[in-house]
Amino acid sequence: MDKALLIQLLGSAAAVGLLVALAAWARIPRPTPPLDADGARALLAVEFPDDPVDAVWIAADGAGLVARSRERALIAWRKGDGYVARDLPWSAALAAKSADGVLVLKTADGAPRLALKAGEAWPPPAFAAGEAAA
Amino acid sequence: MKTFDPVQAAVPFFVLAVVLEIVLARLGKADARYEARDTATSLAMGLGSSIAGALMGGVIFAASVWVYQHRIFTIPMTAIWAWVVLFFAEDLTYYGFHRLAHERRFWWASHVNHHTSTHYNLSTALRQTWTGGIAGTWLLWLPLSFLGFPPAMVAIQKGMSLVYQFWIHTEAIKRMPAWCEAVFNTPSHHRVHHARNPRYLDANYAGVLIIWDRMFGTFIPETEEEPCRYGTVKNLAGFNLFTNVFHEWIAIGKDVVAHPRHALGYLFGPPGWSHDGSRDTSRTLKAKWRARVAREGAGAASTGG
Repeated sequence: MDKALLIQLLGSAAAVGLLVALAAWARIPRPTPPLDADGARALLAVEFPDDPVDAVWIAADGAGLVARSRERALIAWRKGDGYVARDLPWSAALAAKSADGVLVLKTADGAPRLALKAGEAWPPPAFAAGEAAA
Repeated sequence: MKTFDPVQAAVPFFVLAVVLEIVLARLGKADARYEARDTATSLAMGLGSSIAGALMGGVIFAASVWVYQHRIFTIPMTAIWAWVVLFFAEDLTYYGFHRLAHERRFWWASHVNHHTSTHYNLSTALRQTWTGGIAGTWLLWLPLSFLGFPPAMVAIQKGMSLVYQFWIHTEAIKRMPAWCEAVFNTPSHHRVHHARNPRYLDANYAGVLIIWDRMFGTFIPETEEEPCRYGTVKNLAGFNLFTNVFHEWIAIGKDVVAHPRHALGYLFGPPGWSHDGSRDTSRTLKAKWRARVAREGAGAASTGG
């Protein structure tokens, strides 16, 4: 490889490292407080504006949610300082496995791990009974 | 043949500008948000893109020279009028490329990774494609050499356009003077281009001059009532660099294998196209948004709101 090109490449890589370190040091991400009922409603309105919401479950740490919309599960989970939204058949969400206080949902391209409250089972009673809670 | 590369020359300026934006935001003097992993992805994309560009550069330049050898006119690189004409011709070419890169999935697959950041800051400008050479969008610039513009001249003008487009990737600048907003691509216009709100999809494809969008009906102004939310309609699930680079290519491959009879649609239809209409395109998302607005307007009217 050409020496000048190699130096340029190494210099660029070092600059990338320094800029990322500076961005981490600055601590200027978008404010993303843990989800509560209002936050969940607002997030669902943005990500699933046409879907009626029958019931919502919010992860214990506020870093994700599962909502029932008829026969679909609307899912959102934290990624960095934002959220990723996907949907699943409702039956697949109900059948999701939980272990050690963590619920693992499998979407087409991700497997969010959502925190359950201490002693909480999945699915929660409101979902299991198919009640409309929201 | 070694020619002046405006992008390479501007790299120190890019680095200093990102540092400045971060420091000013940290001091509360500028409106900018940075998330370290997002920034890492953007900058790694930029670095990888320059390597991919170097690998493909020879082929592209050789093709340009071959086309130039069969040119219609001979346009002197030293004439000011030639640079003026090339400025407009190259910028129109960029508009065409950019529109194609958003409205047809094959080319979107190579361009989408410029749009996967959920942030809009100067580092986002450097989140560039690795697969543009393979997608062949560089072919769109060959007619300029066929007309008679020397390939080096076209490469320089293309580079200057890319350098111009760096500074518009920011939330720190709200609005430029009205004359500037009318003629040039600005941070406000380009925020709309990077927004995932249905009302803003597939708009403002300009490189330097926003006049092309105004002429061809793709201009949408930024409005106070709906702030831009950045990223793609379906944001990526993680920060993995290679997922970011190749996810749409992989998705195309899966769709073509699963539905070979509809391969052309999955390759060259608009992003989101599906043979059974089960997915959303920009057009359907906009239609749903318009219907929501109409419903809400009717609801507000019926309640006297």
